Amino acid sequence: MLEPNETPNSPDTRAFLAAIISLIIPGGGQFWLGNRRRGLTLFSLLIVLALLVGWNGSAVLAVPVIVLWLWNVWDAFQLGRGRSERYIVPFLLGAIIIYGVAYSVTEVNPRRLVTGWPAMQPYVRALFQPELFEYPTEDTVGTTPILIPCIDPLPAPSRLGSTDPILTTVEPCAAVGDTITIVGSGYEPNFEGEVFWTNPIGDVQRVIEDGRQATFSADADGNFTLDIKVPQAVPLSQLPAAGETQTHIIRAEQRVPYGSPEPTQTLRLVMEKIGETIALAFLATVLGAIFALPLSFLAARNLMSGNRVTRAVYTVVRGALNLIRSIETLIWAIVFAVWVGLGPFGGMLALMFHTIAALGKLYSEAIEGIDPGPIEAIKASGARWPQIVRYAVMPQILPTFTSYTLYRWDINVRMSTVIGLVSDAGLGFLVIQWIRLNEFRAMATAILAIIVVIMTLDYASSWLRKRIIEGVPQRKEQSTLRKVVVRGGIIFAFVVAFIWSWNIAEIDMTELVKGAPDGLALVQSFAIPDVIDFPTEQLSVTATLPVPCDSAESPSPSLSGPRVVLEPACGEPGEKLVITGYELPPDTTVSVRWVLYDDAFLRVKSNCCDTDADGNLRLETFIHPLLEVNPEEGVSNPGKVAIVWEEVTGGPQVSETVQRVLQLALVTLLMALLATTIGTAIAVPLSFLAARNIMGDTRIGLIAYNVLRTSFNIFRAIEPMILVLICAAWVGAGPFAGMLALALNNIPNLGKLFSEAIEEIDNGPVEAVTSTGATKLQALLFAIVPQIVPQFMAYILYQWDINIRMSTVIGFVGGGGIGQQFRLWVGLNQYAAAGTAIWAIVIMVWSMDYISAKARERLV
Amino acid sequence: MLRVENLTKVFPNGTEALKNVSFTVKDGEFLAVIGLSGSGKSTLLRCINRLIDPTEGKIYWNDIDITAAEGADLRHIRRNIGMIFQQFNLVKRSSVMTNVLSGRLGYAHPMWSLLGRFSAEDKQRALAALDRVGIPDKAYTRADQLSGGQQQRVGIARALMQEPELMLADEPVASLDPVLAHSILQYLELLNQQDGITVLCSLHFLDLVHRYATRVIGLKDGELVFEGIPAELTPERFKEVYGEEAQMVTVGGQNAN
Repeated sequence: MLEPNETPNSPDTRAFLAAIISLIIPGGGQFWLGNRRRGLTLFSLLIVLALLVGWNGSAVLAVPVIVLWLWNVWDAFQLGRGRSERYIVPFLLGAIIIYGVAYSVTEVNPRRLVTGWPAMQPYVRALFQPELFEYPTEDTVGTTPILIPCIDPLPAPSRLGSTDPILTTVEPCAAVGDTITIVGSGYEPNFEGEVFWTNPIGDVQRVIEDGRQATFSADADGNFTLDIKVPQAVPLSQLPAAGETQTHIIRAEQRVPYGSPEPTQTLRLVMEKIGETIALAFLATVLGAIFALPLSFLAARNLMSGNRVTRAVYTVVRGALNLIRSIETLIWAIVFAVWVGLGPFGGMLALMFHTIAALGKLYSEAIEGIDPGPIEAIKASGARWPQIVRYAVMPQILPTFTSYTLYRWDINVRMSTVIGLVSDAGLGFLVIQWIRLNEFRAMATAILAIIVVIMTLDYASSWLRKRIIEGVPQRKEQSTLRKVVVRGGIIFAFVVAFIWSWNIAEIDMTELVKGAPDGLALVQSFAIPDVIDFPTEQLSVTATLPVPCDSAESPSPSLSGPRVVLEPACGEPGEKLVITGYELPPDTTVSVRWVLYDDAFLRVKSNCCDTDADGNLRLETFIHPLLEVNPEEGVSNPGKVAIVWEEVTGGPQVSETVQRVLQLALVTLLMALLATTIGTAIAVPLSFLAARNIMGDTRIGLIAYNVLRTSFNIFRAIEPMILVLICAAWVGAGPFAGMLALALNNIPNLGKLFSEAIEEIDNGPVEAVTSTGATKLQALLFAIVPQIVPQFMAYILYQWDINIRMSTVIGFVGGGGIGQQFRLWVGLNQYAAAGTAIWAIVIMVWSMDYISAKARERLV
Repeated sequence: MLRVENLTKVFPNGTEALKNVSFTVKDGEFLAVIGLSGSGKSTLLRCINRLIDPTEGKIYWNDIDITAAEGADLRHIRRNIGMIFQQFNLVKRSSVMTNVLSGRLGYAHPMWSLLGRFSAEDKQRALAALDRVGIPDKAYTRADQLSGGQQQRVGIARALMQEPELMLADEPVASLDPVLAHSILQYLELLNQQDGITVLCSLHFLDLVHRYATRVIGLKDGELVFEGIPAELTPERFKEVYGEEAQMVTVGGQNAN
């Protein structure tokens, strides 16, 4: 290649040459001109974007790629003439392409927000009508028999009607479709009731009039008259023979409330599950902390840097903690559901497992941050090792540990409200169960309970944390009695709470042991992902089996090569048959099938069979009756016996699982990206309206501030996992619903963080700018925005980290992405594939954490 | 009597912090250790109570070989050697009382002390120690609520709990204002003269050395380059210890050169 410095050409020629090189290899011209970094950046940018668009297959998005290519040529030309273009164009084009692909793969469809609204309405309406209290009712039930159809002579009905209240029919008998009149007396006056029909078998159905349930209204004396239509109440097979009749019962019933309102069944169930939710979180936090404590010492660099062995332990423990932590609790919940079965125990284990890893890391960081001075001082006084830990280490780390543990307890309560979405534990289970049953009002009760639980605990734990960090002001030495009472009370309450939680969590260690083989096998197959597979081809050998013998000619068996030989060669249904395969692939699992006349097949034996080391196979069975040739029923082809196996036809290839996982990982990533962007875009303007110092003390300002802040706090308490259930009903299950749920969750989250950041800005610059006679908007732009941008960026990155994690599990309940496929694979027992998905999640989470950590460094 | 013989310390990274240092300290002396930062002062003091294990050489305390002591023996030796630190090394979140009591751990019952129990006698002793350093009213204050000078006094009270025969002071006043420096050293002088505690104190300021020390040793790059009484520390000798560019500075801030 030409060296630009050696060429005698004019700048124009150089520019021209550079442009041509860049036309062939993007960035090549820039590279040749000596601007290597620019060249490499452009090259990789274009390759990545082109691959992205190619994968997406969108023709529209190819346009910006081509434009970017052309810009790259123009840039090389300009560079050759000694000018430098700005990066704004490739940046914008890149953003257009990435968001375009994101928009397309997450199946965003704004129209569905409108068209799906009716489907969503019952959910929203229900949220305002939770089932909380109801009056207990007393039923006033009247019954009367009626004979269907009329016959002559009419027999007496086989059952009698009620006497209090009295219900009678004007007609003693009727035919289906006739209108009859029922008369009641002795009912609760001025009160409505409903009419039911019981057929002779005892099945109850509602009596329908004009498409609605027939209702009656008793008058002031407790009497009523109502015309109803005789329904078709008996299944066709149970109809009476000609000349016979059947006794049906008409029931008219009032449900009369009395006394004072009581909690509904729903509410009682919800209360019970609130207890379970809190108990699971409590137990998981306590046990998690207990296990995390010793591990954290092993994962603290300052304690473990002594020698090679301890450093190795440190590396292994830290690595394991990071690995476990990057896999969401809900994924662990699925794993433990396989291990110990659905239920609170599995949920608790999942919470605990993730807690150990998360707390282990936080604790070890706290240990790494302690001041070594006191350790030295106490060592110098001649103290023993445990005394050093007690007096120099513990006082330094205990408050931090407590604070982290409380923080984790907070997270665990949130998690345990949604863990029921994949396991039978806590409030989430009620939500998903009632959604499946279309019991929206009950569902709404559970969702509101989640909000209340989370909000209450948020406040409680932030109060406690503050108190612990600031320390309780120590006055004189407290009286011993008081100290004993207070401490004893705390310990007693703790023990009671622990025992109560232990019972609720249905801890059953035998399950853990019993499930251990399954669990370990699961972990093992998770650990070995499906990275490569081999292309296969299905091969088979068959032999005709005439049933009965004279229905067709028995084939003459071939004598060499893979073959199947039947003994006898023909027979009657149910006769004994020996199937022998020869010269098949040795030690291979094959499938032995009956092939019917229409080429449908049945397995001769399930979980069958393996060939021996010589490739032979012998199977004794009985001739299947379906093989019988029966010309009367149109079966004229003789059946066959086939042995089928799969043979590898080529070298190893990247498995389909990996390809699928990669695609879905990308979808998941783009889902998170889009959600973060949309959440931010909406949260930013709202946050200004929710900032006390921006809105001022005007009446409208105060209203906007209060309304927005309150709604932020309420909506923040709705986990994305719950939102996605509703979004799936709204726009249909899939990545769009998941993205929408994340975005809806991000708006209040970011809105709150943003508005708090705005409230904390330094007012000095605002005053200064305002004093120059600037308008409010100018002050905003020049004095406020520069102050808040770094803070906002930090919060966006924080939310992005959370979104990445959430987006991996949001598919469990209809949010699309990799989570959906993971759950499907687990459901199909394809654990190796599911393991591949987990590895992809881990890699995705780690690399995104790394990127955002880098971005954060640059911000600070 | 403390006898240091041919003490050498090489750190794992290859730094030679002490090179063949020998000297003796008689009972009741106030020995100042001077030298630049990194000259080995802190290493020397920490070798004496074995917070750092020397590479070679011997240290005898009343004819007991400190360098050979292990386990309970070592703890008993440490118990008799008090130490105060430049950064005070208090547990900041614990109360002053707890910090002072922690100096008694070498004597305390191993089990009870883990539960935070100390004998009434120890508590009495702690209050007396605080009284002695002039802060009896701060016993139940959190350590991080105190000023630097007060924290160092807590450090001295903690060391007093050990009933030490030897006191090591590692730049005890380097983090303090000049005025406070005198007050802290006066406490050490008091302990030296009233209780007969031998003091080894690393110092930076020449006027403090002249004012408080009975003898001085100087370290340069880990080697003993000066040994004598403070009066012998002339500007010329001072430059031998601190290098040609050094200027004698007093706590008052005046140039003494």
